[in-house]
Amino acid sequence: MKKKIISILIVLAMSAALCAGCGNNGSEEEKQGSGGKTLDVWVAPLDDDTVNNWKPLLKDWEKRTDCTVNIKVVPWDSYEETYMTALNSGEGPDVGYMYNEMFPTYIDAGAVEDMSDYVTEEDKAEYKYLGNGYMMEGQYGWPLVTGVPFVLYYNEDILAELGESAPQTWEDFVRICKAATKDTDGDGEIDQYGYAAGMSTSEVGAMQVLNAYYYSALWQNGGQVYSDDMKSVTFADEAGTEAVTWIKELTQYMNPDFMSQSWSEAFANVFGQGKSAFGVYRSSQTDETMFGETYPDLKWDYVTSLKNKDYGTFGATDCLTLMSGAEDKDLAMDFIKYVTGAEFMAQYHEKCPGAALTVSEPYAGDEKMERIYTEDIGKWHGLQAGPCGADILTQLSADFQGIMTDDMTVEEALKEAEDYANNLLDEYWADKE
Amino acid sequence: MEKKHSGIKSLAPYAYITPITIILVTFVLGSVIISIALGFTKYNIMTEPVFSGLDNYRRLMSDSKFMKALKNTLELVVIIVPLQTVSGILVSAFLVANRKKILGKLANCIVFIPVLCADAVAGVVWREFLNGKLPAVEQFFGLFGVDPSMLLGDSGKALVVVGLVAVWKYMGYYVVIYSSGLLSISGACYEAAKVDGAGRLRCFFSITLPMLKPMIILAVFLSLTNSLRCFDLIFNLTGGGPNNATTTLVLYAYTSCFGSSKAGYAMAISNMLFTVVLVIALMQKMLMRRDVSEI
Repeated sequence: MKKKIISILIVLAMSAALCAGCGNNGSEEEKQGSGGKTLDVWVAPLDDDTVNNWKPLLKDWEKRTDCTVNIKVVPWDSYEETYMTALNSGEGPDVGYMYNEMFPTYIDAGAVEDMSDYVTEEDKAEYKYLGNGYMMEGQYGWPLVTGVPFVLYYNEDILAELGESAPQTWEDFVRICKAATKDTDGDGEIDQYGYAAGMSTSEVGAMQVLNAYYYSALWQNGGQVYSDDMKSVTFADEAGTEAVTWIKELTQYMNPDFMSQSWSEAFANVFGQGKSAFGVYRSSQTDETMFGETYPDLKWDYVTSLKNKDYGTFGATDCLTLMSGAEDKDLAMDFIKYVTGAEFMAQYHEKCPGAALTVSEPYAGDEKMERIYTEDIGKWHGLQAGPCGADILTQLSADFQGIMTDDMTVEEALKEAEDYANNLLDEYWADKE
Repeated sequence: MEKKHSGIKSLAPYAYITPITIILVTFVLGSVIISIALGFTKYNIMTEPVFSGLDNYRRLMSDSKFMKALKNTLELVVIIVPLQTVSGILVSAFLVANRKKILGKLANCIVFIPVLCADAVAGVVWREFLNGKLPAVEQFFGLFGVDPSMLLGDSGKALVVVGLVAVWKYMGYYVVIYSSGLLSISGACYEAAKVDGAGRLRCFFSITLPMLKPMIILAVFLSLTNSLRCFDLIFNLTGGGPNNATTTLVLYAYTSCFGSSKAGYAMAISNMLFTVVLVIALMQKMLMRRDVSEI
């Protein structure tokens, strides 16, 4: 009997614990009851230890505003899930961090605020990339990380052997690729390629194949993803078709396993090993130092962008954003400006090099990479943030892969992607109206 | 006093099952109901769902990506289930026959290791194996005239590779099921068969397989549902590419929900998958019932 009563008590205790576990943890009350203000900031992993790199630099601001900043680093592999589920349960941050393709959904849902009213004339003069955060008719993003465009690296030894110099145009590039693709050891098999490419998206996500290879060709050929009014897509027009056809023709000069490797793997395994004339990589201010350690025998340089009808290559701009759920928007905005300002960033970039966001911040990086931010600054830019962006670009990425694997012709694939996109946009604008 | 005792006695079973009932109702039944309801809405997770009737399902029928994902899912089942069943039975028969030998014991442990490893880890490891240009791996595949680095990037082969990796990953799990079935078969049956002059093959087909039938039905059902639900492995191995060649229904539901913010649509995809699994479960139940009556 005793045993049974004990068992029932244990069962009741378990049930109570279960109910308690599902209940509110009372953190809200605690937060309010503790006196000082708090600001929840969610960022992606910006470096190897973002919280500890940021926290000491925030002390002055925290003291001035009597506010404690709670930084949460959200891992990339569950980034959007974390934001969506948190916003759904009303537990999102005051200040968020978003990449370009992420914005449209959150703007439409009213989850992020237009910061236009907070932009002063001084800000416009001081912040170099503020325009990159202006999208869908509002200042929804305040650039925090930028200046890492995908650029074309070349092997100086291979080019010298071919009697070539750095390519400037598409014609130069194709000519060198063709000449560089050959059997160098005489065993009858090609072991040196023109272009180290990797179009697998397994490791890096569907959009990355577009970031690394597609946008540059599209923009250099004068094409765009969206029409100016954002009501349709234009990537399947003549310029877009020509651009993709050009990339498709380049596959004969690529490493044969280009569909199995991601762009970063191809760069490391093929270009980094001196087996190709060209490779695309997301540049950084420290590439000279880094490549010197990783690829000590490689003599390299880079071209920010080739030119056909125009210049252009993709450089992401990830932004801080003011969340609509922020309790004290002025405070959150003050934080955003402080963190992206010269004082904070100059100290942060000493620890973790990155592009200067303001005119007051000096360039801190390798000399070789500086021209990306000076003479070549107009040759790279971000993506137009448009409605249904993630959906449209994911489909485009899949169709782009279909072309590269010979599953579809250029025309078929672009038509499929275009129809898919335009249907979505028609529906989107019909809903708006 | 006796009455009081019997009152507690009659309440006790209900108390025992209360915690698990709460968990099941809240997290299983509740989520199924929510999923079915949200399948009829336009919902992006962040704003309130808006009722849209059968719109999501209508759209599914004309969505080529959904059709491709459905086709891939069924193809994956066709690759995984027969291979897993045959290899599971053969390996378990071998392990049971050699269970008292040191090598048999060692093999028994080794075959279960992949099951303990997380799907995501297995996916990353196999991707590295195949794409990492490792000389040993390249030489091994070279024996069969295959370049491993070309497998995951080929839209014709990627799904087969995913299926084979899944078979490798879960084989240990099914070996345990089959082994328990094999060990429960009485040795007397085999002895009687031997007296009647039956050879090894005859014993296998006339005794082992028929007596394993309930286990086979159970394992096939589990293998079916697991291959229909396979996500982490594919996500890490191919990400659904190239050109959606390895995108399954689960993967498509995931990207629709968290990549495209179309949670209502994702729920409709999940509900279709749920229907497929439900039909299979009912079929399995019928088979099991018939099987039990036969025994």
